[in-house]
Amino acid sequence: MALAATGPLLEVDHLEKHYGGVRAVDGISFTVERGSITGLIGPNGAGKSTALAMIGGFVQPSGGRIRFDGVDITGMAMHARARIGLVRTFQMARVFGNLTTLENLLVAAPRQRGERAAGVVGGRRAWRSQEKELVSEAQAMLETFSMAQKANDLAGTLSGGQKRAVEIMRALMMQPKLLLLDEPMAGLSPSLSRHLEDVLLKLADGGLSLLLVEHELETVDKLCGKVVVMAQGKVLSEGRMSELRLSREVQDAYVIG
Amino acid sequence: MAWEYYLVVMLVYLGTDLLAVWGLNLEFGVAGIANLAYIVVVAAGAYAYAIVTLGPSSGNGGFQTYIGGFTLPFPLALLVGAAAGALVGTLIGLTGLKRLRQDYQGVAMLVVSLMVTTIVSADIGLFNGTAGLALIPNPFSNLDPDTARWAYVALVAVCCLIGFVVLRRFTTGPMGRTLRAMRDDDTAASAAGKDVVRLRLVVQAVGGAFGGLSGALLAGFIGGWSPSAWAYIETLAFLSCIIVGGRGSDLGVSLGTLIIAVLLLQGVQFLPQIASSPGLSEDFGWIILGAATIAFIWFRPQGVLKERRPRYRGESPSKLPG
Amino acid sequence: MQLIIEAIGFGIATGAVIALGAVGFSVQFGISNILNITYGALMTLSAYIGLVLINHGINAWAALAISAVAVGAVSVIYHRILLAPLVRRGTRAIAMIIVTVSAGTILQYVIVAIAGPSSQSYGEQSGQTFHFLDLTLSFGQVTIIVLTAILMLALHLLLTRTTLGKAMRATSSNRTLARSCGIATSRISDIAWFISGCLCGAAGVALAITTVSFDFSLGALFLIPMIAAAVLGGIGQPYGAMLGGMIIGISSEVAAAVSNPNYKDVVAFVILIIVLLVRPRGLFGAAWSSRRLMEG
Ligand SMILES: Nc1ncnc2c1ncn2[C@@H]1O[C@H](COP(=O)(O)OP(=O)(O)O)[C@@H](O)[C@H]1O
Ligand SMILES: [Mg+2]
Repeated sequence: MALAATGPLLEVDHLEKHYGGVRAVDGISFTVERGSITGLIGPNGAGKSTALAMIGGFVQPSGGRIRFDGVDITGMAMHARARIGLVRTFQMARVFGNLTTLENLLVAAPRQRGERAAGVVGGRRAWRSQEKELVSEAQAMLETFSMAQKANDLAGTLSGGQKRAVEIMRALMMQPKLLLLDEPMAGLSPSLSRHLEDVLLKLADGGLSLLLVEHELETVDKLCGKVVVMAQGKVLSEGRMSELRLSREVQDAYVIG
Repeated sequence: MAWEYYLVVMLVYLGTDLLAVWGLNLEFGVAGIANLAYIVVVAAGAYAYAIVTLGPSSGNGGFQTYIGGFTLPFPLALLVGAAAGALVGTLIGLTGLKRLRQDYQGVAMLVVSLMVTTIVSADIGLFNGTAGLALIPNPFSNLDPDTARWAYVALVAVCCLIGFVVLRRFTTGPMGRTLRAMRDDDTAASAAGKDVVRLRLVVQAVGGAFGGLSGALLAGFIGGWSPSAWAYIETLAFLSCIIVGGRGSDLGVSLGTLIIAVLLLQGVQFLPQIASSPGLSEDFGWIILGAATIAFIWFRPQGVLKERRPRYRGESPSKLPG
Repeated sequence: MQLIIEAIGFGIATGAVIALGAVGFSVQFGISNILNITYGALMTLSAYIGLVLINHGINAWAALAISAVAVGAVSVIYHRILLAPLVRRGTRAIAMIIVTVSAGTILQYVIVAIAGPSSQSYGEQSGQTFHFLDLTLSFGQVTIIVLTAILMLALHLLLTRTTLGKAMRATSSNRTLARSCGIATSRISDIAWFISGCLCGAAGVALAITTVSFDFSLGALFLIPMIAAAVLGGIGQPYGAMLGGMIIGISSEVAAAVSNPNYKDVVAFVILIIVLLVRPRGLFGAAWSSRRLMEG
């Protein structure tokens, strides 16, 4: 364990996904270091979402390996990955529409006593104290995202940007080590985007690692240390955004402003 | 007295229907599993109760054949019925292991239901085929008939009471919340660390136990059980109660069960005037059920009592969900 | 051996009827994304319309044609006034299944209320039999096999050779895209529901012709082999459903011949479950159809 804690947090090794003849992801390798924000960029159809889906466990790879925190997780189920701290959000925000906003956060809390056999048999007494703590934690998080007044609204009635926020808060409730974000800024107003950028930076300062798919290059520039560029299922190059802007190859594949 | 007998029958049916509706609501309304084979778990409970109370198949002149054959005391036999429902429910739940679209899964279960009826009807050795099992002992047969009837009502009431307490453990609190999250979006639920496959099987087992108990109580009361009692459309009757009452709401679906029962009784009452055919009242009941279901999905999909969620002010919910 | 060859002959006849039904079911799913369980009750309706016509002295084959068209019309209306509006309001797939089961139940019991619960029969068909290699088939069976072949060929030509057919296939694989290409998708739906309704009606009467007697549960029981055939072929894929129907028909008749005839449907059921668990998109389901059937 001590040994594992020193290597990169996430290692992607020759990962592949084929859909019939389409090579959506064609043998990509990269790493995400602990406590870093890594960007994953590339033109539409480059395979970014597919790569993220494989890392998150939503799509099974056709080839290659994924290691997280020193453990090979290539065949691990999505919920099991989530439990060891590898948490994803979706490109189209997905909320539990018939639960309230607050409940959407509560549901994601790990190790809930009330979900286990003992908690179900024991009833309210078995989980009341933990539930109380979770509620105040969730309420505090709603405050930081300025959504406290929406706490008791059904999540299905929220706006697109609010749903996105709920999804990120839900991910944070899970106490992740690595958060996979697929275009979190898409569809957010500029002010909300700035707000979210600040939140993400603060989280990274607190030790959380992020792998961020984003096409808004300003955001990538501002947030990400390392950036991986993908095109047509392959990794074109990687480095700091400032270096990549100068690269001929990258400019050709992905017109950088 | 005739009306008293009638009342007893109504109460027993209402109680057993409530148990089954609660179980199916846990599966369908709360956890989002379109179990169109739910009646099969009710049947499993009834047959299980029958063969553990009837004694060996050679008894009564051996006029009916079935597997097993024991003489367990009734509380144990009811437990066996519930266990059989849980087991069969879990087996049916296995069809849901593959991540299929919900309607596709529903159709697979519908076919399972049709299939099980076909097999049980065809195989005399299993549960006496189409004729079904008769002379299933009533646990209170040693009491005088009037007392025995009311004793049965009391037994059903006790089962309902215990059932409701158990049910609330699954539909409220963190467990209920997690199941409802899975219903709303099972992909997002597994992304949130929920083991959707395990949860579904647990729900199928618990919902199955409710159905099994319901079937066992029915078999003990009626004294007979045959494939005609559990045709695939019987599941539709329970679904109607859920859709009319309010999917996901325990109180709602209980109310829905009452509404459907009254609706059917009323519908059947004015029937003899339009036709003389004796079986027609039951046919007409099905038409009413189907129409009520479609009407609610069209006009009021949330049902009479909409599912309520707890509201938080401070740290504890200001109101319990219904 | 002789037993098995005979069973294969029967299997082809049964398979033809299953294919008729499964293709219609599959077309409806392809075009509207609805698994229409009412289909079974509509087959029953057709069988009873056929019965009324035959009792009025109309030839069985003319009755088949009339019933088919009638059920085609009923299907269009059913889809128009109930299913399509519900889909437009965003009713979830799970609720749509309950709606089609409910509507099927209503129809089934309306039939019972009118025609009564007792068994019915079309009476003796022509006693003529055909011998072909070692097979012996009745006139009715041969006619149904030929009829199915003609209808399937006609459907094939419609789908591949006509603009209407191309528009149907386009709507089937991507409705939004088809609409943005200027295809009148709601008119295409109507036509597809009419054609599939006709197939449903034809299958209903054909089934009644080939069985000794039938009652109001005719269509409901037929759902097992029919859905199995549609799923095996890759639901939404008309050609898959044709082949699926033949496979289910032949394998269940052969199984019935070598074991207990009561277990005929068990074969269809086992095939269905295996396909669902191993390859839910069926034999011919394209990647898009598997994406449509899988969640997420
Ligand atoms: N389920 C799927 N079936 C078939 N092809 C797919 C599927 N998912 C993605 N693809 C294809 O894979 C390629 C990469 O897609 P994606 O990962 O969404 O790209 P990005 O997120 O970079 O825009 C695209 O060509 C897309 O059409
Ligand atoms: Mg993408």
